[in-house]
Amino acid sequence: LQEPDTIEKSREIEDLLDRAINGDGNAFGRLYDMHVDRVYRHIGYRVSDHADAEDLTQQVFIKAWQAMGRYRRTAVPFPGWLIKISHNTVIDYYRSRKPETHIDLDFVDTKTDRNPERMAEAQFERERIRLGIRQLHNDQQQVITMRLIDDFSFADIAASLGKSEGAVRVILHRGLVKLKAILDRGQR
Amino acid sequence: VKTTVEEILARCIEDIKAGRAGLEECLGRYPSMRGELEPLLRVAMDVRQPADVRPSDAFKVRARVNLIEHIHAGQAGKRAPGPVPGGRVAQGWFTGWARAAAVAIAVILLITAGGTGTAYASQSSLPGDTLYPVKLGTEELQRVVTFDDAAEVELELKFAAVRLDELNEIVTTPEDQATRGGIGCAGIFPMAIIGVGLSGPGESYAARPDRIAEAIAGYQRNLSLAIAKAEQVPDGEASLERVALAILGHLQRLDAIEDAAPESDRQAIVNSKGIAIDGHITAVQNLAKVDPVRAAEINLQAIQGRLDRATAEAAKGNGQGVESALQQYEELRRFSGRISAAARTAGRDTKAIDELNARATTGQLESLGKIYGNAPQETKNSVEQAMGVTVEQHGQAVQGLQQQGAQGDIPTEPPLPGGIPDDVKKNIQGPGSGGGSGGGRR
Repeated sequence: LQEPDTIEKSREIEDLLDRAINGDGNAFGRLYDMHVDRVYRHIGYRVSDHADAEDLTQQVFIKAWQAMGRYRRTAVPFPGWLIKISHNTVIDYYRSRKPETHIDLDFVDTKTDRNPERMAEAQFERERIRLGIRQLHNDQQQVITMRLIDDFSFADIAASLGKSEGAVRVILHRGLVKLKAILDRGQR
Repeated sequence: VKTTVEEILARCIEDIKAGRAGLEECLGRYPSMRGELEPLLRVAMDVRQPADVRPSDAFKVRARVNLIEHIHAGQAGKRAPGPVPGGRVAQGWFTGWARAAAVAIAVILLITAGGTGTAYASQSSLPGDTLYPVKLGTEELQRVVTFDDAAEVELELKFAAVRLDELNEIVTTPEDQATRGGIGCAGIFPMAIIGVGLSGPGESYAARPDRIAEAIAGYQRNLSLAIAKAEQVPDGEASLERVALAILGHLQRLDAIEDAAPESDRQAIVNSKGIAIDGHITAVQNLAKVDPVRAAEINLQAIQGRLDRATAEAAKGNGQGVESALQQYEELRRFSGRISAAARTAGRDTKAIDELNARATTGQLESLGKIYGNAPQETKNSVEQAMGVTVEQHGQAVQGLQQQGAQGDIPTEPPLPGGIPDDVKKNIQGPGSGGGSGGGRR
């Protein structure tokens, strides 16, 4: 059984979605408040530039608003739908740029470790994984980031991508096998 | 059934991420697959979100304002009627170069002697009028020269009140007098830049529903900006409170505008009350993060306002008016519960909030009892539902108090007002009464 607070919250979200689908900008503004952190985190992990991450996050919400009339909430959970738009926006972003290899220290975790050497090492490792993920197939990138970065359940990923949970697990497995191969190759 | 390596990998990832198992523990469960699983799980564990990748508050506010502006710009575009013979229609929400041009024109007008008169004259223009973009341009200028966040909040609230004045004027002007003598602006060359029709007076006016929609869209935009700016004010409780209280005034004003409006315009006014309530909820929600008790108090004022409105509409025998006021009442009454829930989640003491909410129940039910007595027959079901929501929310508040051992003299079951038939009372007090008959109006 769901807690009353959770029921109330999901009722509120349903209501906001209904209104946003019908063109209520204020309701969409509230959905933005609820999801902007998650969208930014997803994008922030996948692009190395802080300003670009902000720019792409804005683009995602504008695209979502423009597509809101076509959104069917029974088919795909809203957060999954937003992440799907985020994924496509990031893909478009990389398509329109030259391959980059630099490491942006904007995202260095300054709160947990202030040792510059370890910070740089951790950042380098993260950057290596991020670049590795970018070499995977589209669906593998999506499943890996949604499950391991954005913390979506397999059920939600399956609903968002229109696949079965079994298929999502297979994609995750293949993606990790390939990612491991890419990372091993990079170390040689 | 044979469990595949994909399933085992997925299960291990779930368990490790949820903290139910460590890597070694998981590998120990599947010794025959250790060789295949371990490297994949190690890679999976390396793919994790760094703790500090989060958007700054400044970015979130900036992006929200941009988004709302984008939404309004699009909505104004959608509402644009077809070409008006003899001239184009002035659009209220113009962005990019058009907005810059309007500001530039406002500057030109303000620094020239004749222009000052035109800019002044534009202040009485209404959405759809030839000079309305100049009025918006002068507002934009005021934004440009206001640097203090708290002052910007005041400015947006002032503009929001102007939008309501415009709305009032549009709906109270009889249709046959709506085509006013145009304010002379022929010959002001730059007007062409922003696409304002320069044909004779009367030809550049938009249709009445479009003018109403434009005033409402403007109100929504000003309100959103006021809220966004209030969030930016350091230690901004006072600004958030100021916005929330201003919206209470807007709701009363909109009630009066609705009363004065002809039947054909009323639904638009009701919709704008929905916008005001959304604004209220957003502002109060933000206020609740810093001062939940004050947030709960202001929300109770808003609730009382909606009950008063329903009472007045019931006395007039206006069933539709009762329905819409009660719908707003229910939304706000449920929101009371959310303020308390959010405060609880944030680890705050919710005793005062729960007590406020629970103590307000008796008065609210009494008002609803009176409304029930006066409301037209076809509306009674809505009143019953509003009572159900009240009882349900009372129950949640009492539960909160019980958990804190602070129920005191507050009754677990609130007394229902007299004059309500027994079967209706049973419905109201039944399990899940508030949302039981369909989870509220939709």
